[in-house]
Amino acid sequence: MTRNKKRALTGILFILPGLISYLLWTIYPILNSFFMSMFKWNINPKIPNQFIGIENYINLFKDEKFYTALINTLKYTVVTVPGQLILGLIIAILLNRKAKGSTFFRLLYYLPVVTSWVVVSVLFQYLFSSRGGMVNYILKDILHFIPKNIKWLSDPSKAMIPIYILGIWKGIGWSMLIFLAGLQGIPKIYYEAAQLDGASSWKQVKHITLPLLRPTMIFQIVMLTIGGFNVFLSVFVMTGGGPRGSTEVLSSYMFKEAFSYFHFGYASAISFVFFIIVFTISQIQRKFLNKDI
Amino acid sequence: MKKSLVVIFVLLLCVFSFAAKELVLWHSYSTTSGEYKVLTEKVIPDFEKTHPGVKIVETQVSSDEMRKRLVVSTASQDFPDLMRMDIIWVPQFGNIDVLMKLDKEFPAEFNKMKDEFLEGPLSTCKWDGNYYGLPLDTNTRVLLWNKKLFNEAGLSHPPRTMDEFFEDIKLLTKDNDGDGEIDQWGFADSGLGPWNSIPWIYSAGGEILNSDNNTAEGHVNSKQSVAILNEYKELYDEGCISDIVTGSGGIGALEGYAENIYAMVISGPWGHSIIKGQYPDAEINYALMPAGENGSRSVVGGEDIVMFQSTKYKQEAFEFMKYITSYDVQLEFAKVGQMPVLKSIADDPFIRNHDYFGIYMQQLKTAVARSPHPAWNEIEDSIATAWEDTVIGDYDAKDSLDSAAEDIEDILSEY
Repeated sequence: MTRNKKRALTGILFILPGLISYLLWTIYPILNSFFMSMFKWNINPKIPNQFIGIENYINLFKDEKFYTALINTLKYTVVTVPGQLILGLIIAILLNRKAKGSTFFRLLYYLPVVTSWVVVSVLFQYLFSSRGGMVNYILKDILHFIPKNIKWLSDPSKAMIPIYILGIWKGIGWSMLIFLAGLQGIPKIYYEAAQLDGASSWKQVKHITLPLLRPTMIFQIVMLTIGGFNVFLSVFVMTGGGPRGSTEVLSSYMFKEAFSYFHFGYASAISFVFFIIVFTISQIQRKFLNKDI
Repeated sequence: MKKSLVVIFVLLLCVFSFAAKELVLWHSYSTTSGEYKVLTEKVIPDFEKTHPGVKIVETQVSSDEMRKRLVVSTASQDFPDLMRMDIIWVPQFGNIDVLMKLDKEFPAEFNKMKDEFLEGPLSTCKWDGNYYGLPLDTNTRVLLWNKKLFNEAGLSHPPRTMDEFFEDIKLLTKDNDGDGEIDQWGFADSGLGPWNSIPWIYSAGGEILNSDNNTAEGHVNSKQSVAILNEYKELYDEGCISDIVTGSGGIGALEGYAENIYAMVISGPWGHSIIKGQYPDAEINYALMPAGENGSRSVVGGEDIVMFQSTKYKQEAFEFMKYITSYDVQLEFAKVGQMPVLKSIADDPFIRNHDYFGIYMQQLKTAVARSPHPAWNEIEDSIATAWEDTVIGDYDAKDSLDSAAEDIEDILSEY
């Protein structure tokens, strides 16, 4: 064995555990769900599955509920990703100094991230109750902004709003933490130089902080977008996809088709299309955002 | 050395040949409940005593987890022997061929015992001509009326007919503090799904599917089915029905009943302990569902006991099923609040003298099961959507139900 071959072998051996788990837990399920999507799949392996080719996909593209779920998922992503990003950045910049209590606030903002989705979803359900909910109480009885209680969760045109707010609130902490790490990687000398040149705080943010945070930002956009597409528990707990299907998202629709209706083939088709969409978007994001600083 | 090996071998042989036949039973009884205590401290030990060599291993799986667990079990062909299963799941798991057809496997015994069960609960075990389980426990929903609010409105008794209900509900809806907004509602319920709407639909003479569970057209959208949805919508628009039915949140039906906010609600037998748990002094008054064209009808809930085809001990499993549905065991469970499924037990002094089992047992005589069909979950969503479309979305009741009929026909055509 030559030296090079030996080195290659060592390298392969080192990545082998990771590679195996990647193949087993990522690649195999993707391929298998594509395979399942070609069948009228029966969950009982003793009953033969009926091969139906692309029929599940044809039905999918004719399915109004799928489009509603897709649009809701896209809207959720479009609203919550910038929401988390902007608020996370502002808080990170504010907390990126050695002021008294900043550790306490960092902890406070991070707390929602580690709290269970189910617990906070139930909590938000209470906050957004039309009668006796705190949000309506503040808006109507204290601030007098609204004349009547808003039916946040039962009005199809508003039911996504509490879900957006929950998603943003719960995600800010993570975004803040990643930004803080990014901010701490920016050498102080740049700011010192800028101060010598008389740059204002805003100019420092605009010309030093933001450009140097770009890699952090790209990482977050990609991760948060994937996270946004995966929205599930908040919908499942707060509205169950209702009222009138107005809060159905791809994951909740897929879950319903598989575990409630036992349409495993159809649910696999949804999951495969879902995979293609997320994969494509991530690739586009990487391509367009990954320019050099 | 050789000798000791032989001794060990013989000992092992003894252990294996006398090893108990282990039957695994899955259930979702909360481990803090009275039912769980009866099951583990009474039912199982007594059964094991009278059936030497049989061991029942009970496994509690929370109801949220149960379905996922069962799906995984099916995919990996690794089942328990027995299970206490939600009545809605029985046709669905029967249809994918994992449950034992009791009428095929034990025809003589099954036919002998089947008439002992209440019809509503028994019908939940049946799909495509076969029975996939035995009813284990049941429940239904009856009207709870708030005497204080009724008296204040000058009413002395609960509505006996739907017409009376429609009159009373208006008298019971009020703006007590005079701020221009209703703060006392005639009626409240937890949602608009079939669990909530079936009592109204069936009492009014409407239906969901035909009696063979294979046609929706002309049933889910029959004249009566449309009429009752229209009435409900009107009452909702007039503010007589609390908007908690639309999932807007706020004070729950039972809490609101106890707090004198909702004059009427419909609830299962668990309503009693929920109300008394929070409001020990609350007075609860029960009445049958107001009767419409088709009498007083309500909806059947509960669980069945099922056996999986994979079991190695069919006969023993069936013995346990018979035991757990026997008179004495059913009565034992009734004492901790689980409603029995046997017709004969309705006359037992315990049931007759019980605070509220009497009325529930009476309602059960005419209660209808949600159509036992493997695709019930889809059918349910379709009907719920139709009711939401009309009540929340202001769609015409006939259009909503016509479109539900079309959807359900599509769903049924797959079977």
